[in-house]
This record gives sequence, structure tokens and C-alpha cells, in this order.
Amino acid sequence: MNGTPALKVEKLKKMYSTGVLALDGISLEVEAGRFFGLLGPNGAGKTTLINSIVSLARPDSGSVEVFGRDAYRQFREARRMIGVSPQEINLDKFLTVEETMLFHAGYYGVPKDKAKERTEELLERFALTDKRKQRVNTLSGGMKRRVLFARALMHDPKVLFLDEPTAGVDVELRYKLWGYIRELNRGGLTILLTTHYLEEAEALCEEIALINGGRIVAQGTIEELKWTYAAASIEEVYLKVVGRDISR
Amino acid sequence: MILADRPFRTLLSREILRFTRIWVQTLIPSLLTSLLYLLVFGLALGGRIKQIEGIPYLEYILPGVALMNLVTGSQMNSSWSVFDAKRERYIDELLIAPMSDLQIALAYSLGGTLRGVIMGAGVLLVGAPFVGLNIAHPALLLLMGVLSAFTFSALGTTVGALATRIEHISFLTSVVIQPLAFLGGVFYSVEMLPEPLRIATLFNPIFHTVDAARYATLEVSDLNPYPTIAVVFLLAVLAFCGAWWAISRGPNLRY
Repeated sequence: MNGTPALKVEKLKKMYSTGVLALDGISLEVEAGRFFGLLGPNGAGKTTLINSIVSLARPDSGSVEVFGRDAYRQFREARRMIGVSPQEINLDKFLTVEETMLFHAGYYGVPKDKAKERTEELLERFALTDKRKQRVNTLSGGMKRRVLFARALMHDPKVLFLDEPTAGVDVELRYKLWGYIRELNRGGLTILLTTHYLEEAEALCEEIALINGGRIVAQGTIEELKWTYAAASIEEVYLKVVGRDISR
Repeated sequence: MILADRPFRTLLSREILRFTRIWVQTLIPSLLTSLLYLLVFGLALGGRIKQIEGIPYLEYILPGVALMNLVTGSQMNSSWSVFDAKRERYIDELLIAPMSDLQIALAYSLGGTLRGVIMGAGVLLVGAPFVGLNIAHPALLLLMGVLSAFTFSALGTTVGALATRIEHISFLTSVVIQPLAFLGGVFYSVEMLPEPLRIATLFNPIFHTVDAARYATLEVSDLNPYPTIAVVFLLAVLAFCGAWWAISRGPNLRY
């Protein structure tokens, strides 16, 4: 597919003040409309990479472009195109479910009428309509996860970052979320997913990058990866690549 | 335009919603405390002091008590709001939104300013029936109130963004602001103090704001109020630069 990539990360480097090298000159390109998976062990640099793209982390060097917009110099345009459903629940405890949606839309500059319309749509979609007046801190874990999801989609992003979206979610909700994520992707939304569940990556992603020690150690479609590493599953690829790195 | 931008206006309205939603915690207790000050200091002590500079004691202390309430209210509002958002990580939603650090710092600072002004005005309104207060220079009083509230709200934003533990916030309130407020000439004229204490008081920013508010209300003051406006304006600018810097560089925000 031609055209501007949804995400273009070049030579991103980040060393923490503790001396840990979190990103070791990582480069990554994600085509528009892709369902892209980012896999790797804990501490591999996945979250630092995502945080550097959304400017929660400040990389020491390198560049990030979101649909051709520089994530730092054109941060307003770039950030407007990104939706994030973070690994840890971070809902504003003073707000109700409905307010969470409306305020989020406001933070992204969405006009009020459009925000109301979209709130109705998403509350309905995530079965939250009857909880709309409830404060978010009184919801169950699964419901909070659904609110996070709906919130990330509120401003109609072009790229969606899902950082461990199904962590701590029961099986039923997990399958429901999978279905919904797939549908969003079919509708043209670019998705970047990080997950610990390899079967989740295998079920959802078209392309996968394995990250370890702040570098991309393997990348390709699921079939390509399996073929390259003569593996029967992504789990086997993962163990071969990451295991090889660990034993090095 | 920074102020007309919807993301900025949304955060400001969120800040207002926060303190109005929990008004039982944010507005009522300090209004009651101020009333107690007026009762205890004004009625009990006022029986002995009678007048300062020809003004009945209760009337003399009222503008200062209002300003003390305004300063502590604005400072506490921002420091808690920012610290809570940081501790529970919902500040991330703002940090990744299409909003500049300047706008975030300004929205938090203005939210606290409004709470401070409401609290200060509340004390004046509640106290006025006791003393029959006439405000000599209402516009000047409003200007001083807004500037002082903004200064201390920006200071609260700074500390909230820099704090890594809850004690840092209570330290600001109980070890810095409260003593400065008490020693800021609310309950006495600095002319009544011995020379070294009088000079020390001149370095207390709250003293300058209290003194100017007293002038605006009663036309009596220890210092000329007009240079004070310049001093408070400078403090407001400095405090806001601190807030802006803290939001963009504070620990556990953007790393």
C-alpha cells in the first residue's frame, strides 16, 4: 500500500537517568490501516516506545511522525490523530461515565454537538448507557476497561494504541473486545497493540514486531515470521527470537 | 489563541466542576474556620483591642481574614487537584491531548484562582453584616484578590506537579502557607511589632496582599498599596512560570 505511513519512528533513543537504555535507536513503520502487534518481554521497551510516540516520554534523539505530522513540532495535529487505551486504568475519579466521554472530547477540541452524538453511540456500543450517570470510581474493573476503550475512541482517532487492552478482563469481555477491535480495523483504523497474550496477537495482528532490549529483533507478517524461524506458532517464534537474545 | 482553545476551556471547566462537586469539602470548612477567626479574634479579643488606626478591630481584620481564606483556598485547590491527577495517573489524559503545557498550567492555576476568589468573597459576605462593611475601592480589591489568588494557585500547581508524596502537599499548606498567613498582618498592624519582626514581615508575600486588600477595603494600610500591586503582579508572573515549568518538567509527568 502506498501513501503516508500511519506511524514512522526513526532512530529513537531513550536512556533513563538510572542508566537503563530503554530504546536503542529503534525504527519502525506502520502502514495506514494495519493491525500491528508489538510483542516483547517485560522491560523490552514497548511502553517506552508508545509513551515516546504520544509524548509521555521524552526520547533523547530520533523522530516520530504520525500520518506525516511530526509528533513534537506539530504535536497538536499529531496527538489529535492518536487514541490511547492505556495498560493501567487512569480515569478521572471526579467524573461520571458520560462526563468522562464529554470532557475527553473537549480535551481534543471536538465540538459539543458532535461529542454528544458520539457519546451516545459509544455508550450504546460498550453497553454503558445505563451507567452513564455513575461516577467512574464506582464501576467494576471490566466496566472501567470498557470506559477506557470508549474514551480512546471519543475523538475519532486515526491510530489506536492498545496497551495490554485485555489485561485483567474476563474471557467473555475479551472476545467481545476482540470482535470490536477487528471491526474498527476493518473500518480503516490503524491499530497498534501490545500484549502479553501471544494468542491474542496471533488472532488479531496482521504484522508483528518483536522488541527486546530497546531494539526490534524481528518483524513481519505472522506467516513471514513463522516461515523465517521455521516455527509452527508465534509463541515458538517468540521463544526462538527472545530466547536467543536472552541466552546471548 | 490560548484562552479560546476548546481543550483549554474544557480543562478549566473540569477544574471548576471538581471543586463545586465536592463543595462540602472545598468551600464550607474554610468558611467556617474564617467565621471562627472572626468570632474569636474579633469579638473576644476585639473587646480589649477596640480599634486599630481608628477602625473597629473586627472591621480591621475582616479583609485580611478574607484574603487569608482566599490564599489558602486557591493554593490547596491546585496543589491537590494536580497531585491527585498525577497520583492516579489521569493527568496522562491531558499530557497526551492536543494541549500545550502552558495551557495545562494555566487551566489549573485559573481553576484555583476562582475557588480562592469565591472563598474570599464568601468571608466578606458572611462577615459584612457584623461590621457593616463598605468597600472603598471595589475594583482595586477585586484586582488584588484575583492577583493574589492566581499567585498562590500557581504556587499550588507548581508544588502539586513537583510533589512525589502526599506529605509534600500538606507541608506546603501547614508549614509554609498557614504560618505565613498568620504572620501576614491579618490580626495586627505591623507598626505594633518590634523592629526586627517588622522588617521580617516585609519579606512575607502574604503580608503585601493583606495590606493592599485592607487599603482597598478600608483605606488604611501599613504600606503604600500601589507599589504592592506591582509586587504582587511580579509574584504572580514568577509563580506562573514555576507552574509552567513544573507541569512540563515535574517528576513522574513526562519522563
